[in-house]
Amino acid sequence: MTENQNIMPQGAENEKPVIEFKGVSKTYPSGTHALDDVNIRINQGEFAFVVGSSGAGKSTFMKLIMREEKANTGVITVNGFNLTKMRRKSIPMLRRTMGIVFQDFRLIPKMNVFDNVAFAMHVVGADKRTIRKEVSKALSKVGLGEKARSMPNELSGGEQQRVGLARALVNSPDLIIADEPTGNVDPNMSYEIVSLLTEINKKGTTVLMVTHDHNLVRDFKHRVIMLDSGRIVADNIGGVEQ
Amino acid sequence: MKARSFRYLVGEGFKGAWANRLMSLASVGVLVACMVIIGLALLISENVSRAIGKLEEQNVAMVYMKDYSWALYGDEVQRLTEGGDKNGITPDMYVIHDEKEARELCDKIAKLDNVKSVEYISGEEGLESVKADMIEGQEQFFDFLDEEFGNPLPASAKVTMNDMARFNKTVEEIKAIDGVDSIKAQDDLAESITAVKRGVMIAGIWIIGILLIISLVVVSNTIRITMYNRKLEISIMKAVGATDAFVRIPFVVEGILIGVLSAVIAEGLLYFCYRVATETIAQTLGTTDIVRYSDMMFYLLGVFVVIGILAGAIGSFIMIGKYLRREGSEFSAI
Repeated sequence: MTENQNIMPQGAENEKPVIEFKGVSKTYPSGTHALDDVNIRINQGEFAFVVGSSGAGKSTFMKLIMREEKANTGVITVNGFNLTKMRRKSIPMLRRTMGIVFQDFRLIPKMNVFDNVAFAMHVVGADKRTIRKEVSKALSKVGLGEKARSMPNELSGGEQQRVGLARALVNSPDLIIADEPTGNVDPNMSYEIVSLLTEINKKGTTVLMVTHDHNLVRDFKHRVIMLDSGRIVADNIGGVEQ
Repeated sequence: MKARSFRYLVGEGFKGAWANRLMSLASVGVLVACMVIIGLALLISENVSRAIGKLEEQNVAMVYMKDYSWALYGDEVQRLTEGGDKNGITPDMYVIHDEKEARELCDKIAKLDNVKSVEYISGEEGLESVKADMIEGQEQFFDFLDEEFGNPLPASAKVTMNDMARFNKTVEEIKAIDGVDSIKAQDDLAESITAVKRGVMIAGIWIIGILLIISLVVVSNTIRITMYNRKLEISIMKAVGATDAFVRIPFVVEGILIGVLSAVIAEGLLYFCYRVATETIAQTLGTTDIVRYSDMMFYLLGVFVVIGILAGAIGSFIMIGKYLRREGSEFSAI
């Protein structure tokens, strides 16, 4: 892999970017330089792994996309929103265009599977009939149609993560952000989850997934963005170095 | 916000209060205590006001009119009637001749700003009243005076006032009216009444103010604990694009619910306590002149509900607002 700060996949200039970083740097008030002059573009329909060691800047990279943090310099565009100029009250609108999958599943223990997924639809004000229809559809997509009435503690780690994935999918987002979704599941289930994400991606949803699992990166031939010390040090498309 | 979202959030508020019922119950307990004390303060204040009102009614100013006819009796009357006194002033120049003139003077007094009522008392009525207060035998002296020289008492007016704090000022205004001879009033009592009223009012304001702050702090703390218990839910809400209002409403509903529930319990408890207390007072002191709870029931319930709703809504609004400002846009780390 070669160090490259202005990486763009070949022929990607004409495609519609879902995520675009232009000269983005982020330094925390404590003085930690998390990202340094990052330029990257992820187009609609792409699947990209984000890899790197601890402290490389992966979390900050994701937080900037989700507008949990604000860049000090540079311009970030996500799903057509300019995050640099975005006001706080517009953040919910940005997040409704993305589905987020957490490493620790983030399921509400007192709610059953159906309600956990429906929760994401209540937030956007969907009506009951739409909720019933879409939740069932999302659960079927992740293979949990039969477990709608189960409580989270009755499910395996892999199943819980699939519920998390159904929740991320239920509002039909343009972009799925998955922060180490396989971190708390066994290797077989990890493959299953990435396979599911790949299926979703094939239907046109852009997927950005942070992972430490090299086997997954090797076996699923997707774009790989590698971060080190706050800089993008490599960007491979389908295992091919750009 | 859509109506169905609002309905959903109100439901979530109820669920939240139930899920957090132990903490909610503790808050209800403290709020009920605060409301009962506030209610007692209001009832005591009402009873004191009533007692003071009675005192105020008794604290009248007696205004005596210029009527010197009683002093111009016997030979003097005869002499002065013919040619006037050494200054040429005849008795008819001093006297308020008849009831019409006396009542006109009363009307002038009644028009003063602070005067609540004016009762005309004729010389004859005044004499009868004085005689009635005499011990047996003494009234004969007045009978003698009356028969020999005419009624020695002038016409007078019994004046009550609205604001005892302005008693002395009003007395001066009455004195300045032409035809008023003198005024008898217990201005020391007026001052005492004013001081007691002011004391009760200041104490009431402090008690209610402090308890309102306590209520607010209690509800805020409950909501804060609920909020931290539901950090996971809030983080998911924020991740899936919930607005601040969406996150806030269930907590505000929960706060209001705690407030309203406390108001209803406080009303019942205060009714019971007040009834026991008034029955004991009535039996011990033999007085029945106590404010009835039924007269204040709806007023107190209104006060409690308003306190409950305000404490619940403001407490939770402030707390969740603080949380959202500090951690509102973050959800990765909980």
